Amino acid sequence: MSGPRTLEPVYVDDFCFSLGHRKLSVEDTVAAGHTRTDAAGLLDAGFRYHHVCDDEQSSYDLAAAAVAGMGDRSSGADAIVYATCLPLNGNVGDVARFDRSKDVKHLMDYPASRLQADLGLDDAIVLGLNQQACTSMLGSIRVARGLLATEPDMRRVLCVTADRFPPGALYEQAYNLISDGAAACTVTKDVGAYKLLAAHQVTNGAMVTADDDETVGAYFSYTHRLVTELLAKVGRTAGEVDWVVPQNTNAKAWQILARLLAIPADRVLCPSMPDVAHVISGDNVVNLAYLTASNVVQPGQVVLLVMAGYGMNWQGVLLEKA
Amino acid sequence: MNPVPRRSDSGSSGGENGEGLVLVTGANGYLGRELSRRFLADGMEVVLAVRSSTARSDVAAALGPLAERARFVAVDLTEAEPFAAVHPALRRRITSVVHGAAVTRFNVDREVAALVNVEGTRHALALARSCPELESFTLVGTVYSSGLQVGRIAEEAHSDEAGFANFYEWSKWEAEQLVLAQADELPWRVLRVATVAADDDTGAVTHHNAFHETLKLCFYGLLALLPGCGDTPLYFVTRAFAVDAVRRLTDPACPGGIYHVAHDRSASITLDQLLDIAFEEFESVDDFRKKRILRPLLADEESFDLMVDGVTGFAGSLVTQALANVAPFARQLYVTKDLDNSRLRSALHDYEAPDAASLVRATCHQLVATRWGRRAAHV
Ligand SMILES: NC(=O)c1ccc[n+]([C@@H]2O[C@H](COP(=O)([O-])OP(=O)(O)OC[C@H]3O[C@@H](n4cnc5c(N)ncnc54)[C@H](OP(=O)(O)O)[C@@H]3O)[C@@H](O)[C@H]2O)c1
Repeated sequence: MSGPRTLEPVYVDDFCFSLGHRKLSVEDTVAAGHTRTDAAGLLDAGFRYHHVCDDEQSSYDLAAAAVAGMGDRSSGADAIVYATCLPLNGNVGDVARFDRSKDVKHLMDYPASRLQADLGLDDAIVLGLNQQACTSMLGSIRVARGLLATEPDMRRVLCVTADRFPPGALYEQAYNLISDGAAACTVTKDVGAYKLLAAHQVTNGAMVTADDDETVGAYFSYTHRLVTELLAKVGRTAGEVDWVVPQNTNAKAWQILARLLAIPADRVLCPSMPDVAHVISGDNVVNLAYLTASNVVQPGQVVLLVMAGYGMNWQGVLLEKA
Repeated sequence: MNPVPRRSDSGSSGGENGEGLVLVTGANGYLGRELSRRFLADGMEVVLAVRSSTARSDVAAALGPLAERARFVAVDLTEAEPFAAVHPALRRRITSVVHGAAVTRFNVDREVAALVNVEGTRHALALARSCPELESFTLVGTVYSSGLQVGRIAEEAHSDEAGFANFYEWSKWEAEQLVLAQADELPWRVLRVATVAADDDTGAVTHHNAFHETLKLCFYGLLALLPGCGDTPLYFVTRAFAVDAVRRLTDPACPGGIYHVAHDRSASITLDQLLDIAFEEFESVDDFRKKRILRPLLADEESFDLMVDGVTGFAGSLVTQALANVAPFARQLYVTKDLDNSRLRSALHDYEAPDAASLVRATCHQLVATRWGRRAAHV
């Protein structure tokens, strides 16, 4: 009989991101008709600028640029987990060529494969992750941890998320101003910036077609539940959370959630919000990249990453600064 | 302040012996209609004060053959002389005035509340004073005239020091003050009714108030946050209980003064218990269960205010409207009141406290079965 398995600790590190080339102010993008909410509403929510790809910039370009930001830290990765929010960003093939040829190979030009080749990660296995909406980057960290726990030969996983909205799309979702962008990090058995304490996900599939009102109705109660269950997994309490690094969403939403969770509102950090808006599933990593530069998080402190996404997905990751 | 009897005890006419003439304001309202039915059924002469011809035909239809014995007068409390249609000959015969008309929305603004609920009461009192045979004047009040006062709430005059959650409460308190100021001149009663949860013990609901609307928003998953503390006691009665109590307490033989038409703390239910029961009932519906709608979180006052202030930034019109419905009474859900009803219990000798949980369960069951009145209950 063997006792409960203690997982070898894994660490999350090398936070990098890239953004669409065109930086637009809230006023400009509202004037261009890219949002539903008016400028005053978006400014009040805490948004100032967002970033949109120019015509030549693909979601894969965003991913490659984000990973380039980590220099040689991506080399030697044993796996790539490539996450997208929009399923269409899981294919960089030309859909028009499929329309002409009716050959589905144009729908299976996978960015993860391209990334593997471009980085020369010949031995890395490649996984695509989608259908988790804005939570997919946190989902990829969880999958990476699972790989490291079950594959003794693996030491390091490269997690990437990249999305750009299709031409003509509104750059507002669920009252958030959106940026095209990508984010990347590594999950590794080697000691890195943050020790991964726990990961948790809640999906309420029955509400996949929920309208915006139902989504908001569920947002607070499900986020609260997610965080409570995540902390319970490792026997922690909200009082032990030093910092929350959430998604870049209306500032008031997290003021409320912080109070509901009994976490002081000044412990909620989204320093990138005014400048980059909601970078789809990359917000936590973008914010951690900002924080790395500012040294706000001290060794031993516990950081909670939280995301809510379409399809009624919620994910959270608990980290401890090494 | 003891109410003055107008006539000698032996001359009492408005009792259950069916004599006397009672004028009921708000006679087409949820309580007024049943109260009028009760007076008529007891054989009294009844003058139904309503403000529109639609209201008049509605109440006549609801009362059926009993309405043939009723007399109608047009009374709009916003007018300068609202009781002008009650002519002197009629005034000479009125033995009771039951003033139930009021704007009952919690989000009523100050001006309307002052005009209808306060000034309207002033006019009703003037009417009462002009009735030489008057044996009782009854203000149908609310237990929330105590505003945000915590602790023991006695069947006595309140001060306004604790403030109020909304202008409805404030106006009902002001209306009480007007009655109390004339205490020496009138045989008065102030009957403070608790929240009416259902028509009767079956839980049937034919009139939706803020309590029912809030449960509906929870059922449809539109309220993520509710204001309040889990252990705040809530006080519910049925309309049947309220109407019976009001009818009996208006009897001139019954001592006047202030009564709580309410049960005391031992028959109250906490907000947590209410939500537990409501969600148990909701879970009996497949669609609800499948959606896995979570119980709303109970938010402290500041969180709830933040939500109300910020909601337009991250929610659509339904959620915004949902919060707008709840916000006007939100502050009451943080206030622990300990209602006293000893005067009521001594006046109603057969009084028995009900089981609040059973009433709430039956009510939630009916609300769900009828989808808040949109379906027949058996569906
Ligand atoms: N139901 C409860 O839970 C509850 C609890 C505590 C106390 N109360 C008290 O009980 C009384 C009756 O309540 P309810 O639930 O029966 O309310 P309701 O159904 O809203 O009835 C209110 C009545 O007042 C009348 N009214 C409103 N404005 C008027 C005006 N300007 N002139 C003349 N009449 C006017 C209404 O006539 P229209 O139909 O023409 O508007 C209606 O007949 C109220 O005083 C209320 O404060 C009720």
